[in-house]
Amino acid sequence: MRLHRTLTAPFLLVAALAAVTACGSSTGPADSAGSTSPELTLYTSVTQNTVTAVLNGFDKLHPGTTIHVFRATTGQLNARIAADQHSGGLRADVIWGTDPLSMESYAQQGLFQRWPLPNLTGVPPQDKTTYFWGTRELYLVIVAHKGLTPMPATWADLASPAYKGKVALPDPAAAGSAFAALGYFATAPGFGMNFYDKLKANGAVQVSTIPEVVTDVAQGRYQLGITLDSEVRAAIAEGSPVVLDWPADGAISLYSPIAETTAAKGAAGSAAQTLLRYVLSVPGQTAIGKTGWQPVLPGIAGPARPAGSKEVYPAWTTLFGRQTQILQQYQSIFGA
Amino acid sequence: MRAATEAKSAAKAAAAAKTTAAKAAVAKAAAAKAAAAKAAAVALVVGLIAALVAVPLVSLARIAAGAGPTGIWRALSGPQARVAILHTVAVAATVTVLAVAAGTALALAIERRPGRRRLALRLGVAGPLVIPEFVLGFAWSQAYGPAGLSDRLAGLTMPGLFGPAGIIAVLTVYGLPLAYLAVTAGLAARADPALERAARSAGAGRWTVLRTVTLPLLRVPLLAAAALVFVTAAGSFAVPQVLGTPAGFATMPTLVYNDLAFSASSAAFTGLTVVALALVVLVLLALGPLDLWLARLRPSARPESPLTASTARTAVDHVVTVIVCAYAAFAAAIPMLTLVLTALTRGPGLLPVPANWTLANFGAGFSGGGGVALLRSAGLALAAAILAPLLGAAVAGLARGRWRGPVATGVTLAYAIPGSALAVGIIIGYGRWLDGSVTIIGLAYVAKFWVFGHRPVQAALDRLPPGLTRAARLSGARPATAVRTVVLPPLRVAMLTAAGLVFILAFHELTMSTILYGPGTETFAVVIMNQQDLGGVGATAALAVVLTAPVVAVGALATWLTHRSSRSARRPPITPIFRNDRGLTYPRRR
Amino acid sequence: MVSLTPDAVSCAGLAVGYGRPSLAGLDLAVAPGETVALLGSSGSGKTTLLNGIAGFVAPLAGEIWLAGAVASAPGRCLPPERRRIGMVFQDHALWPHLSVLDTVAYPLRRAGASKAAAHKGAQAILEQLNLSSLAQRRPGQLSGGEQQRVGLARALACQPAVYLFDEPTAHLDASLRAAIGEEVARRRHADGAAAIYATHDAAEALALADRVAVLHSGRLAQLASPADVYAEPDDLTVARLTGPLSILDAPITPAAPGKSTITIGPTQTTVPSTTAPAPAGPTPAASAVLVRPDWARLERSLDGSGALPGTITEIRFRGPHTDYYVATPAGTVLIREAGPPHADCGPVRWSLLRARLMPREHQR
Repeated sequence: MRLHRTLTAPFLLVAALAAVTACGSSTGPADSAGSTSPELTLYTSVTQNTVTAVLNGFDKLHPGTTIHVFRATTGQLNARIAADQHSGGLRADVIWGTDPLSMESYAQQGLFQRWPLPNLTGVPPQDKTTYFWGTRELYLVIVAHKGLTPMPATWADLASPAYKGKVALPDPAAAGSAFAALGYFATAPGFGMNFYDKLKANGAVQVSTIPEVVTDVAQGRYQLGITLDSEVRAAIAEGSPVVLDWPADGAISLYSPIAETTAAKGAAGSAAQTLLRYVLSVPGQTAIGKTGWQPVLPGIAGPARPAGSKEVYPAWTTLFGRQTQILQQYQSIFGA
Repeated sequence: MRAATEAKSAAKAAAAAKTTAAKAAVAKAAAAKAAAAKAAAVALVVGLIAALVAVPLVSLARIAAGAGPTGIWRALSGPQARVAILHTVAVAATVTVLAVAAGTALALAIERRPGRRRLALRLGVAGPLVIPEFVLGFAWSQAYGPAGLSDRLAGLTMPGLFGPAGIIAVLTVYGLPLAYLAVTAGLAARADPALERAARSAGAGRWTVLRTVTLPLLRVPLLAAAALVFVTAAGSFAVPQVLGTPAGFATMPTLVYNDLAFSASSAAFTGLTVVALALVVLVLLALGPLDLWLARLRPSARPESPLTASTARTAVDHVVTVIVCAYAAFAAAIPMLTLVLTALTRGPGLLPVPANWTLANFGAGFSGGGGVALLRSAGLALAAAILAPLLGAAVAGLARGRWRGPVATGVTLAYAIPGSALAVGIIIGYGRWLDGSVTIIGLAYVAKFWVFGHRPVQAALDRLPPGLTRAARLSGARPATAVRTVVLPPLRVAMLTAAGLVFILAFHELTMSTILYGPGTETFAVVIMNQQDLGGVGATAALAVVLTAPVVAVGALATWLTHRSSRSARRPPITPIFRNDRGLTYPRRR
Repeated sequence: MVSLTPDAVSCAGLAVGYGRPSLAGLDLAVAPGETVALLGSSGSGKTTLLNGIAGFVAPLAGEIWLAGAVASAPGRCLPPERRRIGMVFQDHALWPHLSVLDTVAYPLRRAGASKAAAHKGAQAILEQLNLSSLAQRRPGQLSGGEQQRVGLARALACQPAVYLFDEPTAHLDASLRAAIGEEVARRRHADGAAAIYATHDAAEALALADRVAVLHSGRLAQLASPADVYAEPDDLTVARLTGPLSILDAPITPAAPGKSTITIGPTQTTVPSTTAPAPAGPTPAASAVLVRPDWARLERSLDGSGALPGTITEIRFRGPHTDYYVATPAGTVLIREAGPPHADCGPVRWSLLRARLMPREHQR
């Protein structure tokens, strides 16, 4: 018992410290400035550093708004939103996602208001819908191990016998961005699910996530794979032996949408619209560009692209509602 | 004169009647108080189980019920779900058999020989438990997978690492300490060396003694260990996610998680809830009858007997030491070393040589408020580590007789639910009041890890000789004091072990924390998760190392404490003095 | 003279213990059919010695021979299951997962009998001990006495050459103790096996044994017949271990051979006496006088020549006899007389019938 007493005191101290820390801290960039300041809740699956950069810039221009951020991967976000709905309603005022398909599901569940700022200019038409507009574009490209010969030129080259057993594919069930590739190929002329049959016959392997494709190619487990351009650039910056190979027929582009929810009312509603406006403004887009993403507004600097590079867009409206069917077709080829 | 006597006797009679009436009233009040106390105890146990287990489960059940019977059937009979259920059962059963067999063999080999090395051997076997599940799976893939450490050094990779074989191997490593600890406790309680000596003097050789006496006596602890390992393996998420998904091998927890990631529609969500509840039903079917049977057995009130030294068998000792060292190296040390090397390496694909070393990966982890989150995780884990054994002891003490079985199963159900589903259930049940606070995360931890505070304490309680509380009450202690001073101290070792285990598990809990946290209440594991999308394997490895290190420290501390406690309990009792009549003694010469 | 049959158990220069020896320099031979009692208090090494003979502990020095063959030597140890030994344990050591019938059948199964044959043999043994009605019970359902008899039945089933009893009646009441003692004696007369019976109860040891081995201070202090160990103990510790006693502090002068004159207070009395062998070293100045309770007698009248004065301070009625504690100038004397008390506390006259002179022990 004596031993317990000597240890109880420091334990309680640590517990008290943790409790105080827990109550007092906040990862939101804005500090609470009083009960009259508007409060905003943001649910997002965007990467942490981008969220931090954007919100820091927002805070400079609109000080006094408290923003509560819940950041998690898409799956956890889905779980949280579903749980919210079953326990009194969605608690978020703004949702900023990383792919159009999950946002479309939310829209179909009636979680979003109609896009409140239709007069904003600059966003390309393929990056917006009635309820949500895109904030940045992500590109699915080919990542190859340094020194790979021959370097693949187009998407179709992935199925060439030169790369038998060396291709890594991201799991389309794991992330919306990974599904964008599947969605594009499934509906694009000249590819279809046939393309995946050919890939499987060529020994392509599905790994679990987009970053893991880069890791595996860097470590030499595979020689090439489909992944996001931002991931490849980050690995190159760290010195990994990988190369960003932009397909000649165009990288697959998906956009990261943002929307205002039906739960945003009153002060929160106007604060939400202010945030939306900021994210699609020049300073907001510049912040996004600085963290390594391609802004959606033209003329804002984003990460470097090869000269003359093209992008292709999946037929999102066709894909809405057909996801499960396409995924099942895919999984019958590659397994769950 | 006669009147005075009569008056006196009348007064005496009146006084006697009053005393009798007073005594009756006192007795009635005491009986009423006892009944009230019993009712309060029942209410407390029921209330705890309701709050921690029933509320989330019922919330999920209501969602699942929304799908209707056809929806439920469809969710369970789809090819994906069927395959996932089959995989889960197969993996869990295999892991259980392997872990219990290996754990029993190691426990018999190590615990029989008192010696300084025993603590080191115990740590070698139980060590992998302090490594978070996802870290273990991840570290193995870095160490033994293609392009991993062993591949670079020797061109060797573990065949089948990505797939059921790898999952079973890692989960066995993770579940073996649980089996080992349970069997060790059982050995201390039930394996009297005299029983084995009786068998040997009756003509049984060593192996025959093992087969006919030792193992049958360990039946109950073995089954309890098997139950715990089965539930842990069935509900494991991180290892199948890391090692199974790349090979297309799905289990029920990964199915729930991955489908949740894929589809945000409410129909899909309902379907997933059905799968999550199916896992609970599976565990219920496996555990319920077992717990009922275990509870019906009369608990053995044998005090822990000191393990006397057997004949020294140094050759066997050396073999055991070599085996345990090799196992610890292969299962834990090499993977963790690989993880540290990966954390130090600048980028994926570079050789882990000092030229490529950097501490930047560690810094990246703390940029997003990781330091504060670490402290918060420690505080939450500590709170859970304190509450779980206390609540477990309370329920173990209050639920007696044939209720012990159902209560044990009930407590375990929360552990069996996949983390994401339990988190959702808790949000639905308590989100209105507790959303975004640290409390809801703490509640989730206590609900999920309650089982580790309950089962070992229940087992230790069963071993206490009856009549302890009665002796205390006769010596003047009130019921609460009697429990506090007489029942809790012998449970010290069990509760300390439970607290250490719960701390470790709560500190590196990932799945629930990433759903339940709110602004300002991230746990350290959440920070890791958020960083994982950003940086590559280097940052993840760095954070995993930082997550594991404090847990290792706490685990070592807990082991040391329990070693000290049990060692002091094992010191031989003071020998009594024989007295014969009036001091014409047989004096003891000591 | 060459003995025709080897000793059942023979220990030569034996030292046993766990690390440090509990007993050392032990020489003991038990003939077939003989019962030797190991008498000593707890911790004197009785159990350790039995464990050594059974083969659970290798000796630290010396050898153990069973039926003429070496069984234990330092570094070499015949395994317990290959020795023909039946052991009855103090805590019964019954297997909780086996019924009484299976427990008694266990040694028969290990000896190679089929399940049916073993059960038949076990059934026969149970009938001999009147335990047939308990055949299907588990140890948890038996009383202490029943458990001990089942333990005995199990030892019988081993058909041993030597029985080892480790304080088997320690937890039993007097009547059960007597019953088990009878049982044991009956069995052994039937099969002629040797027995080593460890106990701390002097009465039990004296009753059962052909010879008594008294253990204390880590050695075998005396090995002799019960009568000798009772009436002629070698030292005071042996005397204390083998029965109730009184020690008188009185000057002694030798009288005729085999007699001594003892001065108690104002009176002298000359009694037949024996003298314990003096320990090595300088002869102690004075001896103590050992008086067993049956070596003194109360005188009915208050006069009488040769009677010693004393005061009865306490009377305890024991049933078959009464103990009187008589205070004398030389110390308190315990006098035991048959029948109910016939005197009251107060002055009394008593006489000494015999005595034994013991060297005073060095105080540690």
